[in-house]
Amino acid sequence: MKILVCIKQVPDMESRFRVNSAGTWYEEQDLAFRLNEYDEYAIEQAVRVKEGLGGAADITVLSIGPDRAVEAIKKGLAMGGDRGVHIKADQPHQMDAWQIASLIAAFARDKNFDLIFTGLQSQDRGSGQVGGMVAELLGFACVTTVVGFELNGAVAAIRREMEGGLRGVVRLALPLVVTCQLGLNTPRYPTLPNIMKAKQKELLTFQAADFPVGDSLVQTEKMYPPEKKGRGLVLEGDVNELADKLAAILKEKAPALR
Amino acid sequence: MYLELTEEQRLIQETAREFARAELEPVAAKLDRGEERETFFRNLKKLAELGFMGLNIREAYGGSQVGMVAFSVAITEIARACASTAVTVSVNNLVCDVIQTVGSEEQKKAYIPKICSGEYLAGSFALTEPGAGSDAAAISTTAVLVGDQWVLNGIKRFITSAPYAGVFVTWAVTDKNAPKGKGISCFLVEAGTKGLFIGRAEEKMGQHASATTEVIFDDCRIPREALMGKLNDGLHTAIVELAGGRVGIGSLALGVGLAAMDYAARYAQKRVQFGQEIAKFEAIQWMIADAYTELEAARLLLMQATFRADQGRSFYKEAAMAKMYATEAANRACYAAIQIMGGYGYSKEFPVERYARDARVTSIYEGTNEIQRIIIAKEMLKSLAQS
Ligand SMILES: Cc1cc2nc3c(=O)[nH]c(=O)nc-3n(C[C@H](O)[C@H](O)[C@H](O)COP(=O)(O)OP(=O)(O)OC[C@H]3O[C@@H](n4cnc5c(N)ncnc54)[C@H](O)[C@@H]3O)c2cc1C
Repeated sequence: MKILVCIKQVPDMESRFRVNSAGTWYEEQDLAFRLNEYDEYAIEQAVRVKEGLGGAADITVLSIGPDRAVEAIKKGLAMGGDRGVHIKADQPHQMDAWQIASLIAAFARDKNFDLIFTGLQSQDRGSGQVGGMVAELLGFACVTTVVGFELNGAVAAIRREMEGGLRGVVRLALPLVVTCQLGLNTPRYPTLPNIMKAKQKELLTFQAADFPVGDSLVQTEKMYPPEKKGRGLVLEGDVNELADKLAAILKEKAPALR
Repeated sequence: MYLELTEEQRLIQETAREFARAELEPVAAKLDRGEERETFFRNLKKLAELGFMGLNIREAYGGSQVGMVAFSVAITEIARACASTAVTVSVNNLVCDVIQTVGSEEQKKAYIPKICSGEYLAGSFALTEPGAGSDAAAISTTAVLVGDQWVLNGIKRFITSAPYAGVFVTWAVTDKNAPKGKGISCFLVEAGTKGLFIGRAEEKMGQHASATTEVIFDDCRIPREALMGKLNDGLHTAIVELAGGRVGIGSLALGVGLAAMDYAARYAQKRVQFGQEIAKFEAIQWMIADAYTELEAARLLLMQATFRADQGRSFYKEAAMAKMYATEAANRACYAAIQIMGGYGYSKEFPVERYARDARVTSIYEGTNEIQRIIIAKEMLKSLAQS
């Protein structure tokens, strides 16, 4: 079984973000970066599949990004990946989802992967498109927003989350791209010895320019923080009255209660 | 000059931080009230499984062998969430370190893997006695060789983790006639040994989840091979090994100080008095500026001491400086944090009063800060002495 996990390094979401001078992305200087949360579920699931097969699987952890992305790859290796692939790109945000997916597909095309795990989306860009596009480019089936995954031979039984809190169950054959959602699993903490061992694992480095990808299909025109709306609404008065007022507001504004 | 953690050190720091946030922080206040003992033990076990009990211990003995810089940043992250857990981890690492440094191959194989794996929840470092605190050479516990056994008699006080320790590294007088400090030896005593009793638990100001008790040796018989290191050379071991422990305590203090200031500084941006956030008052800003500057200086001293240790250079003086400065900076930070929060800082509804209580002991244990100053002055004067 050959498994590919595609991961991205993103800023710590507790950071204070500033729009960069070009007005198209955030200022990266001084931010602390970490592994995209959804990608942790992806790595964890890959490692669980490998464990379920008694170790008979080979996990490649791939990331596109500047030098610092290696730290995210190392975490993937410390969690149980076998090999890292770093596709170096100093300004990956200048590529759109199509180009990122094209890079991944170009790398993966002749490698006979059976399973590709990605996060549902990245915490910074949040387009949620890369996984689906990779599947399309490789001619793999694809299931998104996955919250349950079980492998029986070459068939996967998958639970996915749908709009409005519904769950769907699908069953399909490999090869397959799966995009992972919160709730799929609880990612393990890498043990300290495994963090040290990750240093010795194979790390292949490529330049993004090594792979032919077309022009971007989407350009970011402008990035800006949402305008500050007025302050929140403060209700005052008698408790019973307050409850009525609140219920009325919720009925009007919250679709779930309608 | 390169002031950055390595990739591995950063991943270790991140792992410690994420574990601390998810598992330790939610229970820290309950642990402080004496609740959730089982959770405390379970978390120690989990930390052991992740490799945090033997950070500076070789793989052959079940350690993670990641070095002292990693040890320091890990303890700081754990202490940001729970000082009681952090001190237990720090002392476990110290005990493993002592055994690795002076123990025989059999002793290392017998005990270190059990602490590193979590089979033993803890190990204890039992030096202090009622009559011998700062003056460790004044201990009066005795060990007498009778046939093939050492017979221990005496009382140890303030022993961290004693009720759940699997093994005790302890010190006793083996030559009464030797000059002071020259007749002390180091021993390993297993929990459950006949004649070893866990005595009264201290009721403390803080760090409540970490037990601190008396340990009594009453005709406690241990095998001849339980002697660790050279006969009558035990005090030297204790003094040298405490340098590593001091880095742990300094790192712990830094974590508590940061937790207190982070909480208070966030609070100051929400609390409104006289029509504005109190963070806009210069008086509050100066407290924030002073505290964070001191904590940053503490961090650098700790990094300097541990970097030297990882390079195999001496770090005895640097560890004393880092411990002394970091623990005092942390205590000042906790004082400022309470001041910034006013009455709410003093209230148990907020965590800052707990941080202040937890930080207080850091300038006392593993050598009071007066003793650290004596060490630093001695080392400095020695290096400046006219030949
Ligand atoms: C919570 C807690 C946990 C502990 N855990 C352990 C443990 O696991 N193992 C262990 O062995 N010990 C442990 N200790 C003991 C701790 O290390 C001692 O409390 C400490 O070394 C000080 O000794 P003392 O309390 O007897 O104070 P004393 O030595 O009596 O000191 C009292 C005061 O006199 C000062 N003083 C003493 N001598 C001098 C001097 N020469 N010059 C200037 N000032 C001096 C001290 O700095 C201090 O201010 C722990 C203590 C506490 C509170």
